[in-house]
Amino acid sequence: MANKPRVAIFDFTGCEGCELSQLNFEDQLLDILAQVDIVEWREAMDDRADEYDIAFVEGALSTPDCIKRIHDIRRRSKVLVALGSCAVDGGVNAIKNLHPIEEVRAEVYGKDQYLFPTLPALPLSAVVKVDHNVRGCPMTQGEFLRLFTALVMGKQFAEPDQSVCVECKLNENECVFERGMICLGPVTRGGCNSQCTNFGQYCIGCRGLVSEPNLAGMAETLASHGLAMDEAWKRLQLYNAYRLQGVRA
Amino acid sequence: MELQILKPGLETRELYLPEMAEITAVRRLTEMETLYTVKMPGGRELGHQPGQFVEVSLFGVGEAPISISSSPTRHGEFEMGIRRVGMLTEVLAGYQPGRKIGIRGPFGNGIDVSKFRGKDVLIVAGGIGLVPMRSMINYVLDRRDEFGRLIICYGSRSDTELLFTDELAAWEKDPRVEYHVTVDRGSPDWRGRTGVITTLLPGLQLDLPNTVCCVCGPPVMYRFVVLTLRGKGLPDDNIYLSLERRMKCGVGKCGHCQINGSYVCQDGPVYHLPDIAKLREAL
Amino acid sequence: MAQSFLEQARVLDFIVHLQTRHTVYAPHRRGQRSFAFEKTSDPAAVELDYPRVLGSVKKYFLPPRETLMDFDLKTDTATAPQVEPVNAVFLGVHSYDLAAVKRLDHNFLTGKPERNYLVRRQGARFIGVSYVPDKFHFAGSVGIDPYDMTGSDVFLTRHPDGWIVDVLTGEGAALLQGFALPPHALPKPKREHFTQHIYVPQDSLGRILEASYDHPVWNETARSCLSCGTCNLVCPTCYCFNVEDQVAVTGDSGSRERSWDGCMLRGFTEVAGGEVFREKSAARQRHRIYRKFKYLSDATGQPWCVGCGRCTAACTAGISIVDIVNRLIRDAEREEKITA
Ligand SMILES: Cc1cc2nc3c(=O)[nH]c(=O)nc-3n(C[C@H](O)[C@H](O)[C@H](O)COP(=O)(O)OP(=O)(O)OC[C@H]3O[C@@H](n4cnc5c(N)ncnc54)[C@H](O)[C@@H]3O)c2cc1C
Ligand code: SF4
Ligand code: SF4
Ligand code: SF4
Ligand code: SF4
Ligand code: FES
Repeated sequence: MANKPRVAIFDFTGCEGCELSQLNFEDQLLDILAQVDIVEWREAMDDRADEYDIAFVEGALSTPDCIKRIHDIRRRSKVLVALGSCAVDGGVNAIKNLHPIEEVRAEVYGKDQYLFPTLPALPLSAVVKVDHNVRGCPMTQGEFLRLFTALVMGKQFAEPDQSVCVECKLNENECVFERGMICLGPVTRGGCNSQCTNFGQYCIGCRGLVSEPNLAGMAETLASHGLAMDEAWKRLQLYNAYRLQGVRA
Repeated sequence: MELQILKPGLETRELYLPEMAEITAVRRLTEMETLYTVKMPGGRELGHQPGQFVEVSLFGVGEAPISISSSPTRHGEFEMGIRRVGMLTEVLAGYQPGRKIGIRGPFGNGIDVSKFRGKDVLIVAGGIGLVPMRSMINYVLDRRDEFGRLIICYGSRSDTELLFTDELAAWEKDPRVEYHVTVDRGSPDWRGRTGVITTLLPGLQLDLPNTVCCVCGPPVMYRFVVLTLRGKGLPDDNIYLSLERRMKCGVGKCGHCQINGSYVCQDGPVYHLPDIAKLREAL
Repeated sequence: MAQSFLEQARVLDFIVHLQTRHTVYAPHRRGQRSFAFEKTSDPAAVELDYPRVLGSVKKYFLPPRETLMDFDLKTDTATAPQVEPVNAVFLGVHSYDLAAVKRLDHNFLTGKPERNYLVRRQGARFIGVSYVPDKFHFAGSVGIDPYDMTGSDVFLTRHPDGWIVDVLTGEGAALLQGFALPPHALPKPKREHFTQHIYVPQDSLGRILEASYDHPVWNETARSCLSCGTCNLVCPTCYCFNVEDQVAVTGDSGSRERSWDGCMLRGFTEVAGGEVFREKSAARQRHRIYRKFKYLSDATGQPWCVGCGRCTAACTAGISIVDIVNRLIRDAEREEKITA
């Protein structure tokens, strides 16, 4: 990418918490903008056969229209990046996958349910090839910056694949299990600098799972710290409902 | 507490800061592999042994351990053959002559050439394993009188992936070299042998106790090659293997390269087979 | 050397004495139930009676994160940052953590010595303290007593009325200069005992591990192990590290950063193309235990576990290094009985 990369940003079902424009990049935002051409901002998605070097896509896919759009975005983009836990893993949206779809529609849209066809919430990778992930809910800013810099430099991006505990230990935190809380850090993918446990909060797993999580072991651990087994699996599902479908024996 | 291990006057070198060397030539070997010629600062010799490696450093990208492919007998600049597989190697693939790269090393033990001197030398190289072995091969060719036969067995996935094709052609013609090659899958115009590398070995006529072998290739290869060599009656004492593990520091500090209790960057990458009989993670 | 006595009432004065002359690091409360070494400012915040600190003093010599070099990408040049000597007094270190420092010295100062470590490590002075073993300590099984003064410049032994002071080195004597202490005439306090033990001597443990490579305990442990790496990261003798480059958003400068790593993490042995040399969690657990009790011990003659109990205390899955090792010992002994 010798010239300024053309960058587009799109947004599907999400909470808008990841929205780039709202993030607090402080003085880095100017540096970012200086290095790219932002070709379209958010929903703008007309029929021009525009092409992008990098497409950042936020949100999970939950309507047939989303699926059409993501295929279209994929066709136009050299590099497609999923931003935030909804786009990467289906996020909390995927919780609705655990309930029959009709029920969800009735609950969400009431009597208008038939006007809004919805699908189970899907991560982008369930439909198209995703080149990179920026995880977290909201997405981890540091990771966005690392990825962004790598892409602009034309180098690969190595996604972290180790537990939140690693960073938690580097920061010499007292483990929240010591205080009788439970924590998903051991199977959750680090990269957030353990930002929750640094403040004495437990990790709810918003960055998704490491690549080979020992889920049964994690559920056992949660259970041995006082959660009922069902509750333990529910905790694991909060951000991982899509990935965990059918996992629990 | 005293630092008991520290002797007075102990030299503590800057272990991690690379020297800036210059790429003087770049030659595409295949679609995936490129040969780089590198000049150390001031044209200084690297001072390596066949089988040693360097840590190649690109600032902002990282470091990677890379074998030295040229023989120390060919003085001056040195060569590295590199396959594009990840972060650093991919960026390096875009580099042109004149670019600076960081170099640390040479590291590792290298091949103990004295164990091969006066003996028949058997080189078994799979895929990119030819890159380090080429250093030894050219060492033997440059000091031909010091060694017995030179037998090279080279296996590649396909004929389009053969490395150093000009040198392979030269070895084929050279009466001082017994060169055998096989590919797993040949393209339609491939006229040579097909089959995995172990199929080259049974047909070899070896002067057994007098033959010393060095093997380098992908991890899956070693076990089968060793079994076949043993099957031919080659004693373990005559077998050396060049092994690969993840590396970070190259200087015995970071712990990444361990095979059981052995550090590949220190005790290896070239291992004498009897020494790794006890290392159960080795093969 | 002579013993003297530090009355409980004078402990604060003692800390003030040290603090006005030196940088002092000592155990402080961290979180609700934990302790950690911190730089002292308020002497009253120092805790000399504590079971164990979260991370050992290792963090001062091998920081969890450290910049190895800064680079300028416009000119392709790198400079190593000035490493500052720690040059401090470590007050209140337990004997096993001092034994661990010795092991770190071995890694970083033999072979090709590392300057960063050496510069930090030089000039560190240690005031050891005795401790009461809790349900996780088993240092006695690796030959390190709670009263072991090895490695200390000054050692403080707990006494009901204060601390018995042993001055062990010239540096230790210098630390006490200007702080007069009466000679100690009281009897030594009664010794505290460990509740956790490994039930064989270290030299036979190597032999037992040799024979336990394929023991079922590795797979059994792997069922509950979460491969989170915590047991490595809390260990005072673990020194493995990762190195990664960081680049500023502007793309024209950056740094090479190292941080602690651990062999329990799956990616530790992963190479380009996806091969993972220690792919199975069972193989990683075995590697960790062998590192502590065999590989490095074979090479140096010392156990590389100092019995601090941190890995067991910190494992959320409840995996205990002592239980694993004792299980291997028990089964090896049973085996021997059967074959005998
Ligand atoms: C002793 C030795 C000699 C080698 N010689 C050569 C050679 O001559 N030519 C060649 O093409 N390759 C060689 N390799 C393999 C080469 O080191 C890897 O392909 C390279 O590190 C990949 O780096 P990357 O940044 O492109 O890949 P990434 O997957 O992005 O790797 C990131 C980092 O992981 C480590 N790593 C990844 N793969 C390996 C690996 N296979 N071995 C060790 N560390 C690894 C490195 O620190 C690397 O920088 C050798 C490896 C070893 C151990
Ligand atoms: S608080 Fe959570 S992330 Fe931190 S060590 Fe404990 S389990 Fe791991
Ligand atoms: S600590 Fe856990 S919940 Fe918090 S940001 Fe990191 S992954 Fe998300
Ligand atoms: S701390 Fe426990 S769960 Fe985590 S890697 Fe170590 S043994 Fe496994
Ligand atoms: S292995 Fe466990 S008990 Fe032994 S020194 Fe390390 S953390 Fe302490
Ligand atoms: S590569 Fe770091 S110890 Fe071998």
